[in-house]
Amino acid sequence: MRYFWLSFKAVFIKDIVTELRARQVLPTMIVLGVLIVWILRMASETASAGAVIIGPVSLWIAILFSGLLAQERSFATEQQQDCICGLLLAPVDEGTIYLSKLLVNVVMLCIFEVIIVPIVVVAFHLDITAHRPALIGVLLLGNIGLSSVGTLFSAIVELTRTRGALLSILVLVILMPMMIPVTFALLAIFNGIDDELAGTGALAFVGSFKAAVGYMVAFDAIFVVVCWLLFPFVVKE
Amino acid sequence: MRRILLLAAFVLTLSSMWIALTLGTVEGPPANPESPVRNIIYIHVPSSIFALFCFVALLTGSVGYLITSKPGWDILAAASAEVGAIFAIISNLTGSIFSRAEWNIWWTPSPRLIFTAILLLLYIVYLILRSSLEGSARRKARICAVFGIVAFIDVPMVIISARFIPDIHRPGFSFTSSWQRAAFFLSMAAMILLGSLMISLKAEILRSKARLEEQTFS
Amino acid sequence: MNDIAINIDSVSKAFGTRLVLKNINLAVAARQSVLLCGVNGAGKSTLLNIIAGLLQPDRGSVSLSGCNINKYAQRAKSQLGVILHKPMVYPELTVIENLSFFADLYGVKKSSDRINELLEEAGIWAYRNDRAGILSHGLLQRLAIARALVHSPKILLADEPFTGLDTGACEHLISILTNFADNSGTVFMTSHDTHIGLRCCKRVLVLDKASLIFDADAGDVDAAAFSRDFVAYAGGAE
Repeated sequence: MRYFWLSFKAVFIKDIVTELRARQVLPTMIVLGVLIVWILRMASETASAGAVIIGPVSLWIAILFSGLLAQERSFATEQQQDCICGLLLAPVDEGTIYLSKLLVNVVMLCIFEVIIVPIVVVAFHLDITAHRPALIGVLLLGNIGLSSVGTLFSAIVELTRTRGALLSILVLVILMPMMIPVTFALLAIFNGIDDELAGTGALAFVGSFKAAVGYMVAFDAIFVVVCWLLFPFVVKE
Repeated sequence: MRRILLLAAFVLTLSSMWIALTLGTVEGPPANPESPVRNIIYIHVPSSIFALFCFVALLTGSVGYLITSKPGWDILAAASAEVGAIFAIISNLTGSIFSRAEWNIWWTPSPRLIFTAILLLLYIVYLILRSSLEGSARRKARICAVFGIVAFIDVPMVIISARFIPDIHRPGFSFTSSWQRAAFFLSMAAMILLGSLMISLKAEILRSKARLEEQTFS
Repeated sequence: MNDIAINIDSVSKAFGTRLVLKNINLAVAARQSVLLCGVNGAGKSTLLNIIAGLLQPDRGSVSLSGCNINKYAQRAKSQLGVILHKPMVYPELTVIENLSFFADLYGVKKSSDRINELLEEAGIWAYRNDRAGILSHGLLQRLAIARALVHSPKILLADEPFTGLDTGACEHLISILTNFADNSGTVFMTSHDTHIGLRCCKRVLVLDKASLIFDADAGDVDAAAFSRDFVAYAGGAE
């Protein structure tokens, strides 16, 4: 157990220090996130649905696409100087490597959200005073879900030197089931769900906020465990 | 043997089609009761079920490969993915046609249609991954197996999450006669037979390719 | 205690239709230093990667001091130090941070003492707070050697470690390898430079056309003739 914590901590700190020193990922994520929010803010001027619906949706889209940038970098650093070989040569369980990189990705997304959420709140005139803990919880669950799948597929894409935007399609297709509960939860937090809309049209959701959060917890738990178990098969030659 | 099974599939298909269009015909939508379009259900439902069955075969192949590293399992997964994609396309197309005739829209985000669309997307992404990977055959097979397992676990997650959206249009289809039941099950049998034959043919092609590569050890 | 440090049992490996290693059988005793020679593309790096556990053989198995590299991976890897073509260090971390990271990965106790010792031995003490990304090739190689030795391994694998080094750096590496072998370590290295290789190692092997065609004590080998054309030398000896 002690050895697990030592190696977990070592990989986690190494990745965080590398990312903060390189200063490549976070600025790119923030710029992309702001651009997405800006575009949707402009589009919402013409839409009758209003800020309480487009605002939370733009937040989730920004997190998703900026998050993919962070996932790409997960294993790009290990590709330099064949560092992944250095990790695999050490007597470290591959699952430990996966869990530390997962935590690094979650932390990067959290840092990103600390910056992007106020921007969205200001741009769309949203009110989050009543539901801050719920928002933090939902975003954290979203981060874990995105990172669990993104870390595994980032290893696949980077370590096999596959060209093209494969990471985006791999992650997004697996995350499709998460989209509905997350959107529902965010809309509920920002009071975007009108009683009049309930039960009709594309924005109508059945079920409750608790059910959406419960689904997200289940999704995260299942995919973290499954990806952790499958990770050794991906990194070995 | 394969020819006999192919012939059997042909006979089953013809008989189910004949019964569907004559004795077991389904009444058209309320706007046009004479229209035969609802009979597409005899293709749509079996193809959806078989597309899901192919995914189970893909999962079996993926798990089998990760446990045993025997190429036969990877071949099963690859063949099932290709055939499953074909049946998923058929399912989506026939579903759209039915939707258009029934409710005058080609597609709507209802749970069933979301499910069939995501199933097709999962197959397509699996096939793209298979063709994009570089490296040794063993590594490619292992990575495809990993994705196959993750994708399969995604399937029930899709079914559950789609329940957050109300099923606005409930088809409410049920058999009104034993001929309809017969047509449906004959169609299902034909689809299973045909699909299994396609998987077996594709697997044989892939096996021949693998055998050529194995001859380096002789 | 098992006297065989590296045991390679019927290992074969192919990449696509190209057979790289065919039924390789080799036992390297503890405290032995071995030089593996071969032309470009002979399969030296492949064999080394298989011993290190980075590649899986298509057939056969590898054991390190009696531990199968797959079944007892952690135990086998903890006694292995590896130097490959690339230094396997993180460019954004400093020299000392790189060594601390690997010391933590290998569970080295009192790692700061060990790291200071290695920095002195490798001659990179003056660069300890510099980022690895700005170091020259020679200094990176010294760092790579320090990384490989940070956990005091019993077996050292080195894949063409002298490539790109100047004379001074070569002499320094030769002294590290001979000290390691003298202090009860097992060395298994590949090198194109057979002159230097024969200085460091007591046993020499030649890999050609996927098989080991030569295996002799370095002392019994005519260094000049061997260095001119080791494949022909090995074929003549057969």
